[in-house]
Amino acid sequence: MSRRYALTAYLFLLPAFAFFGLMYYTPIVNIIANSFRTGPRADTFTGLDNFTRVLSDQAVHNSFVITLIFGAGTTIGAIVIGLALALLVDKPLHGRVVFRAALLVPYLTSVAIVGLLWRNILDPQLGILNRVLDSAGLPTQAWLNTNPLATIIGVTLWMNVGYTMVLFLAGLQGIPDVYHEAATIDGANGRQRFWRITLPLLAPTTLFVSVMSVISGLQAFAQAYIITGGGPADRTDLYIFHVFNVAFSARDFGYASALSFLLLLVIIAFTVVQLRIGRRGEVQY
Amino acid sequence: MANRRLSRRQLLRWTGAGAVAGVTGSFAAGCGAGAPEDDAVDSDSGSGGDSAGDTLTVYWNAGHAYQAYEDVLAEFEEEHGVTVNFQKYQWDDLRTRLLSDFASGNAPDLVEDAGWAQEFAISGEAMSLQKYIDQDGAGMGYPDDWQPTTLERVSYQGETYGIQLHLTAVLPFYNKAMFDAAGVQPPQTWDDLLEVAKELTGDGVYGIALNQDHSYAWSWMLQNGVRYYDPETEELMTPRDAAIEALQFQADLVHKHKVAPVPTTGTDYSGPQKLLSAERAAMILTGPWDLLPIEETSPDLELGIAPALRKEKQAAVQAGTSMFIPTNSPHPDLAWDLIKRLTALEVEEKATEETGMLMPRKSWAESSEVQGNERYAVFADAFPYSADYQEGLRLTGKSGEINELFGTLYQDVVMNNTPAEDAMETFISEGERVLAG
Amino acid sequence: MLQRMSPASRIVSYLLLVIAGAVTVLPLIYMLSLALQTEAETLSADPVLWPESMQFGNFQELFKRAPFGNFILNSLIVAGGITIAHLVFDPLVGYVFAKYQFPLKNTIFLFLLATLMVPLFVRMIPLYTMMSNMGWINTHQGLIAPFLMDAFGIFLMRQFIQPIPDDLIQAARIDGASELRIYWKVILPQVKPAMAVLGLFTFVFQWNEFLWPLVATTTEEMRTIPVGLTLFNQEYFTLWHLTAAGSVILFLPTAVLFLLTQRYFVRGITLSGIK
Repeated sequence: MSRRYALTAYLFLLPAFAFFGLMYYTPIVNIIANSFRTGPRADTFTGLDNFTRVLSDQAVHNSFVITLIFGAGTTIGAIVIGLALALLVDKPLHGRVVFRAALLVPYLTSVAIVGLLWRNILDPQLGILNRVLDSAGLPTQAWLNTNPLATIIGVTLWMNVGYTMVLFLAGLQGIPDVYHEAATIDGANGRQRFWRITLPLLAPTTLFVSVMSVISGLQAFAQAYIITGGGPADRTDLYIFHVFNVAFSARDFGYASALSFLLLLVIIAFTVVQLRIGRRGEVQY
Repeated sequence: MANRRLSRRQLLRWTGAGAVAGVTGSFAAGCGAGAPEDDAVDSDSGSGGDSAGDTLTVYWNAGHAYQAYEDVLAEFEEEHGVTVNFQKYQWDDLRTRLLSDFASGNAPDLVEDAGWAQEFAISGEAMSLQKYIDQDGAGMGYPDDWQPTTLERVSYQGETYGIQLHLTAVLPFYNKAMFDAAGVQPPQTWDDLLEVAKELTGDGVYGIALNQDHSYAWSWMLQNGVRYYDPETEELMTPRDAAIEALQFQADLVHKHKVAPVPTTGTDYSGPQKLLSAERAAMILTGPWDLLPIEETSPDLELGIAPALRKEKQAAVQAGTSMFIPTNSPHPDLAWDLIKRLTALEVEEKATEETGMLMPRKSWAESSEVQGNERYAVFADAFPYSADYQEGLRLTGKSGEINELFGTLYQDVVMNNTPAEDAMETFISEGERVLAG
Repeated sequence: MLQRMSPASRIVSYLLLVIAGAVTVLPLIYMLSLALQTEAETLSADPVLWPESMQFGNFQELFKRAPFGNFILNSLIVAGGITIAHLVFDPLVGYVFAKYQFPLKNTIFLFLLATLMVPLFVRMIPLYTMMSNMGWINTHQGLIAPFLMDAFGIFLMRQFIQPIPDDLIQAARIDGASELRIYWKVILPQVKPAMAVLGLFTFVFQWNEFLWPLVATTTEEMRTIPVGLTLFNQEYFTLWHLTAAGSVILFLPTAVLFLLTQRYFVRGITLSGIK
């Protein structure tokens, strides 16, 4: 019996095997092969040189740390704010549909446009924000220079919290009312219901959001490419932005491949850990 | 479209490889792909007209698609019976696109580049134009009619790989009304500048505004006699003290004398221009690309352009673009013919009239239209003392990485106010590692 | 809903929502304002909050300066095609990982998730070589093929299918339904909200994709909107009025799609099978 279902499973997976094999794993094999090569076309074998070079490359270390902070900031922010907003727009309020739409709107815009827009808004000398602050008699800001990393984390959250809100909303509405009803009858207050019922039953959604958010946080690119250019002085030199420059500005595809491969390992490690934790937290109906 | 399909099919046949084979190979997998097509054109060298019906692919900067060039292309299409696929990109995108092409063995026929001719000459991806120049140089005036400072940056091992298309320089732009009101003259030396800037600063106006982009810093470096890279001693930033002094001077304008705002980190070069246009900065350093935006946003501004400052010597950053033909170009002869047409004196003059862009021909600089125009003339006079600051560095093949490091150095000093001496130390040790590696 | 809200918590909730809504929407209104400004206004160093007279001509200008109609059509075909493919493949694969037991399941799933961790530009050049060998550069199929399904959608569907009680599937099997029929008749109707989310986000993501269409198109007529928009930048400055107008057009279809799909994830998932 179970053998038959295993066969069915493989049959259903067949298109996926073909697709991911061709479109992802052949390129991944290529990256791994290139990580042992050097030269503008990555055609000269250099053994482990690219990997030993990483060990002493200050700029890579710097950008790795920056990216970890960025990933942590955007993930925690996306979960906390996204869940809070989802709980708010899940309430029986008039016009909640409008609020849901309004909060999701930034996510529907392209990250390139968002980047350009915020660069335009935040510019200390020329941006609209300082003009508004100034005319309201408030002190002006120069966040892009004084707190560049926090600023791009903020812009990223501005764009993404609507999206995590929608995911949490879908998760919230998947929790059958009976659980809450039963708990209310048992005398649980709102806070207790949140911690004992809502949060545990949301675990699959939370897991999904945190895994996806870590992955996209560690791969963030446009924030540096479009808003800060990695500056001032490498303070927002996000890892993928750095690797992109190694590949397309310095044209060292071999080293870029090695750096990509290392990031791949790091993200896989993070994901495995999260899935482990998530599995423990998941509740079966 | 039909032609494109055909040539793709040919490509498939020549590589003799299916999809998977191409992918599992290295980045250089399809390298030879374009070669057979090359031969076909090369065999009737010089004529190029036999390829009627073909498509010639040209990569161009999206900001440089002037009507003057569109006209040339239209005429070219008609005469050769070919279609020109004129692909316009931003610089970063153009480079990404081009490197992807090279990596998979494809290539456009002609590329406008932001100073990449030497880099691709070294990697073997740009074609030597020497045979064409030997044949046509006298007729078109190359190299004799080009500003001498534009020749070195497109040469490699004694051969020419690119032809300068535009030539620009970075000079002080200033608000004449503000200068008159304060009763000051455009500065000639750094000391003058500091004095003037102090005079003009106040009441929401800055005496000068610096760019966030590090290439603008080279005005000061060159004026202080700094060399980016000395191929003989293989040293970066010589003399070192002069380099530190030039960097610190810029930082002091911002942080010590407070006559300039802190430049905002970003990917935009237009910050100082906007401040000048808004009459919130009295002076900026920039090139002719800012003429048009200034005119459009503040038509009433009385704009003055001054000759470059001097410290050790008078110097300005030279910039501008060139064109090169990729080695795998399917139609190099046609591409060369297009280069000749695009750099003809009357095309240069038309482009200048249309957009205010400056050109590399000596005869352009000497023409009465240019000499009679106050703004163009200042630039034309600056060409002899303007310099390509990356000269020598590019041939190391490491200029991309070194420039990234310099960008960090510049921002660290000018934005973060790190002492130039300390930041320089980091730059040198990292830079030496890059050059050695 | 379960309980009524007290007036106080109602006011606090509204207040929070209004603040959050303002923070998200105001910058976008500023973008709309930019789209309606003259070039001089957008370039002005004294930023203009709202244009003196609205320049609807900016939108016409887009179509005059570039084959913008083509850009829109290409974007619709590519993003639409990819979205349909995702809706076909992702739930099926997600279902397999949610409800079937088979050897190497976790390993395969990890290998699948690993594909999410490869940034596009890293696989871009191998893909470009492959598409070039297949003669698919500058075609719609070449723009679609590398994105037919992805681990994000599969993971999403797995997470939403997992809570569906196994009893439902068992009951259907006892009734003699085929495996495909169970998927179609029992599983899919349960996850409509998740499908709406998947369809919306896939479309939005692909609609805004930049790097692959940049590399995989070789004529202006084949460009998608995000790549086409770069034509409106000058060498050293952005033509803001046109870029913003293009962004507004770029935004419209995703907004429409959101309005069409939002009722699904607003109404909620009902687990009607269990008592």
